[in-house]
Amino acid sequence: MSMSDEAAAVTRQRRPAERIRAVVQTRAFLLVAVVALFIVLVALAIHQGVGASRLLSLAAWGVMLGGIIGLGSIGLTLVYGVLKFPNFSHGALVTFGAYFTYAFMAWLPESAPLRPLSFGWTFPVALVLSMPLVGLVALAVDRVVYRRLRRQNAHLVLFAMASLAMAFFLRSVIYIVWGPDFHFFFPGRANPALELPFNIRVRADQVFILLLALAIMAGLYVLLERTRIGKAMRATADNPELAQVRGINTERVIAWTWLLGGALAAAGGTMYGLSSQLRPEMGFWLLLPMFAAAIMGGIGNPYGALVGALVIGVTHQVSTAFLDPTYGPAVAFVLMVIVLLVRPQGLFGREGG
Amino acid sequence: METLVLVKAMLLFVPLALAFGLVLPARAWRPLAAVVVGAVVALAAAAGLSAGLLAYGVSFAIMGCVYALLALGLNTQWGYTGHLNFGVAGFFAVGAFTSALVTIEAPTGVAAQYTQMAFGLNMPFLVGVLAAAVVSGVVAFLIAVPVLRLRMDFLAIATIGVAEIIRLIFQNERWLANGPQPLRGIPQPMHCLVEANGCGWAPGWLNGALSVLSPRDYPLFYLVIIAVFVALVYVVIERACRSPWGRMLRAVRDEESSAAMNGKPITYVRIQSFVVGAVIMGIAGALYAHYTVTIDYSHFHALFATFLVWVMLMLGGSGNNRGAIIGGFIVWGVWSGTAFLADAIEPLLALISDDLPRRAAYFRWLLVALLLAGIVLFRPQGLLREEKVVSRYLRD
Amino acid sequence: MPLLKAEGVTAGYGDTEILRDVHLEVGEGEIVSLIGPNGAGKSTLMKTVFGLVHPRQGSIRFRDTEIAGRSPYDIVKEGMCYVPQVANVFVQLTVEENLEMGGYLLEERELAGRKEQVYELFPKLRERRRQRAGKMSGGERQMVAIGSALMLEPALLLLDEPSAGLSPKLVDEIFENIRRINATGLAVLMVEQNARKSLEMAERGYVLAGGQNRVEGSGAELLNDPDVARLYLGG
Repeated sequence: MSMSDEAAAVTRQRRPAERIRAVVQTRAFLLVAVVALFIVLVALAIHQGVGASRLLSLAAWGVMLGGIIGLGSIGLTLVYGVLKFPNFSHGALVTFGAYFTYAFMAWLPESAPLRPLSFGWTFPVALVLSMPLVGLVALAVDRVVYRRLRRQNAHLVLFAMASLAMAFFLRSVIYIVWGPDFHFFFPGRANPALELPFNIRVRADQVFILLLALAIMAGLYVLLERTRIGKAMRATADNPELAQVRGINTERVIAWTWLLGGALAAAGGTMYGLSSQLRPEMGFWLLLPMFAAAIMGGIGNPYGALVGALVIGVTHQVSTAFLDPTYGPAVAFVLMVIVLLVRPQGLFGREGG
Repeated sequence: METLVLVKAMLLFVPLALAFGLVLPARAWRPLAAVVVGAVVALAAAAGLSAGLLAYGVSFAIMGCVYALLALGLNTQWGYTGHLNFGVAGFFAVGAFTSALVTIEAPTGVAAQYTQMAFGLNMPFLVGVLAAAVVSGVVAFLIAVPVLRLRMDFLAIATIGVAEIIRLIFQNERWLANGPQPLRGIPQPMHCLVEANGCGWAPGWLNGALSVLSPRDYPLFYLVIIAVFVALVYVVIERACRSPWGRMLRAVRDEESSAAMNGKPITYVRIQSFVVGAVIMGIAGALYAHYTVTIDYSHFHALFATFLVWVMLMLGGSGNNRGAIIGGFIVWGVWSGTAFLADAIEPLLALISDDLPRRAAYFRWLLVALLLAGIVLFRPQGLLREEKVVSRYLRD
Repeated sequence: MPLLKAEGVTAGYGDTEILRDVHLEVGEGEIVSLIGPNGAGKSTLMKTVFGLVHPRQGSIRFRDTEIAGRSPYDIVKEGMCYVPQVANVFVQLTVEENLEMGGYLLEERELAGRKEQVYELFPKLRERRRQRAGKMSGGERQMVAIGSALMLEPALLLLDEPSAGLSPKLVDEIFENIRRINATGLAVLMVEQNARKSLEMAERGYVLAGGQNRVEGSGAELLNDPDVARLYLGG
C-alpha cells in the first residue's frame, strides 16, 4: 500500500462524531427535525382532545399567518443579505405599515364592506398608499444612520446596535402619534367564518390576506428574476464589491432594497392588523418569527424566508391548540434554535457555508 | 436630632467614599482623599438636605447601583469578549424572580389563593442572591452552548428572543411566580434594624444607636449593601480582566484565529465570559427585587432592562469597568431627569393635541434612542476608552 | 497618449501604507504584465487603479480623465473593466445573469448582441448559461468572470492573477484566451504568478517590490535581465 492510499484510507475512516455531524448537517435532517417537532405538536394537540377539523382550521390559519410573517421576513432577509446586519428595527416598520394604513383609512371616505369581506375599497387603497410611505421611512433611516456607518466602514455590531436604537426610536414615535391603546381597522364589524370542505372554518378576510400575500410574492418573483434592478439586488447581496466592479451603483441598489423591504413590511403589518388588532408592540412581537423565518430559509434568500415563514406560521397556530397563543414567539424561537443547531446556513443556504 | 444626622452621615459615608474612590484620578492620595471627601460630603448631605431630597437621592443612587451592576455584567460580555447580548432583561428577570422565590415564605391558607408560587423557601437574603447568580448563570450556559459557536449576530437575535420568552413565562405562568399579578413581600435584608424593636442578632448598643431611625430611612441601609456589592463585583472583574484569563478574553475578541493558533480553547473561554456576565446580571436582579419588594413581569421590559443598559455601557465606554459604572449613573440620571422634562413639556404638548400630554412619557424613549444612535454614530468608543494597559507588570 | 497613466500613487489600508510613489503606463492595445514577490502591492495597485482603494496621493488618468478617488461603478463607464482574483463571479446567479450584470450599464437591446459575442468567444458558457456560477469549476468560473468583464467592450481589461489555482492545462487555455482577447484590440494589464509566461506574452512589464517600482522594460528585456530572472522569476 502506497503512502497516498494509506492517507485515503484514513480519511475514509472518519471519527464517528464527525460522521454524525456530517449526517446531522444535511438539509434532509433539518427537514426531518422540523417535521418531527410538528408531529409532536399535533400529537400533543390530539392528546388534549382537539379534533381533526379544528387542527385543519388551525393549519389553514397558520398558512395565513405564514404569509404575514413571510412578507415581513422578506424585507428582513434582503437587507440582511445586502447589508449583512440583522435589522432589529424591522419590526417597527411592520407596525408603521399597519398604523399608516389606519391613518389613511381615517382620511379616505368611508366605504361599504364588500361582503363577505369585512372591508370596502378604502382598505386596499390605504394599503397601497401606506406601502411606499413605509419604504420611504426605511430609506430615510438608512440615509441618516446606516449610510453614515457604511461610510465609516463600521463593524457589523455597530449596525446592529444602531438598528436597536432605531427600533426604540420608531416605536416611541408610534406611541407618541397614536398612543398606547389598541386600535381596530373596523371596530365592531362582524366577519363570519366561511364553511369550507373538511369542516375548515376560515374568515373571508383570512382568505384575502393569503391571496394578497401570494400575489405580492408573485410580483416579487418577477421583480427579482426578470428585472434589471431585481437582478442587481441579488447580485449585490451575493457579492457587493463585485457588483460595484461590474458597474452597479450599490448605494442605489441598497436604496431600492430598503424601499422594497419597507413596502413589504407595511403589507405584512397591515394584514396582521386586519387579522387581529393594531398595537404599538405588534411589530416587536413579529420580530422573532421574522428572524426565525429568515434564518430558516438561509439569510439573503427571499424564497427561503417565505418557506420558513409558512413552517413557522403553521407550527405556531397548531401549537395554540394546547398552548397560550402569546407563546407564539417561543414556538418560532424553538424552530430557530433547531435550525441553528442543525444547519446554521438554513434550509436553502449553501452547503458548508 | 444630632444623633440622627450623625447616623445618617455614617451610613452615607460608605457609598460616597466608594464613589469618590472610583471617580478620583488614580494617584497615591486617592484612598485618603476618597475617605475625607466622602466623610465631608456625607455630613453635609445628612445635615443640609431636606428629608425628601435625601430620600430621593438615596433611591436614585440605589437604582443607579442596580444599573451599574447590569452594565458591569454586560461589559464582561460585550466589552471584553464581544458578545452581542440583547437580552439583558432576561437574566435580570431570572435573578429577580429566583431570589424572590428563594427568600419569600410560601403563603398558606387564604393568601395562597391570591399569591401562587412554585415554592417559597424563606431563606436568608444572601442565599437568595447566590441562587439568583447560579440560576442566571445556568440559563446563560444553556443559551451559550448552542449559539456561541455561531456568528455573533445570531447571538443578538437569540438573546433578544430568550429575554422575550422569559418575560412571557413570568407573565403567563401563574403557578410559577404569580403570573400576571405582582409578587409581593420580598424580604429586605436587615430591615429589623430600623424597626422599633431592633434585631435579635444585633448587640444592644447597635439597636440603641439605630433606634433614632424609622422604617422610612431603610433605603440608607440598602444603599450601603448595594454599594458594597457594586464595589466587590468591580474589584473582582477588574482583577479578572487583568489576569491571564482577561487577556485571553481580549485576544479571543480581537483576533479569534490567532488565539486559536496559540492553543487556547476559544469556545470554552467565550462561554465562560458569557456566563460570568449573566451571573452579575442575575445578582443585579436579586438586589433589585429586594429593594422594590414587589416585582412583576412588566419590570423586565426590554426598554428598561436591556436598552438602557446598552446606552449606559456604550456611553461609559465598552471595555472599561469604571466607564460602565459611571455611564450607568449618567444615563440613569438622564432617564430620571427626563421624567421632569416630560412633566415640563406637557402644557406645551396640550397646545398641539389633546392626546399628547398623556403620551409625554414616550418622549423619554425617543430621547434615549437618539442618544444611543448618536453615540454609535459619533463616539462609538464612549466617554472612557478601553484601558490598553491590562497587566500590572506592563504599566509604563 | 497612453491609455492609462498612473503617477506618484501612494495608497494603503488603515494605518499601513502599501504603495509608495508608484507609476505605471498602459498604451492602447498593449499587454502589460505586473510581476513581483508576494506582498509587493500588485493587487493593491490594481484595486487602486480601479477605485476599490482610494489613493492618498498621486494621479491616475484614464484616456486623459482623472479617475483617482472615483468609485468603481463610475470608473467602469470610462471603458475599463476589472477581474478580481477571488470571488469574481456571483455564485448565486446563473451564467447568463452574471453576463447581464457585467453589462449592467448597457441598454436592453445592446445586451443580447454582447452576450452573443461573449458566447462566441467562450462557447462553453453558452451550453452552461442556465447553470449557477457557484456550481462551476475554477476554469469555467474564470471564463464567466472574464466574459462578464468583456460585456461592456472595455478598452482596458485588468486581470488579477487569472491563472491562480488552475491546472497547467487550464493555465495555457486562459493565456490563449487572453491573447485572443488582446488580438481584438483590447489592452490588458495583468498581475501574474506565472511571471515567465506572462512576460513572454507581454509587450512591457513592471517589477514591483516592497510597494515600489523596481525594474521596467519590454517583456523580452525583463526576461533576459539576469537580476530580474534571479530575484523574481525563480532562477
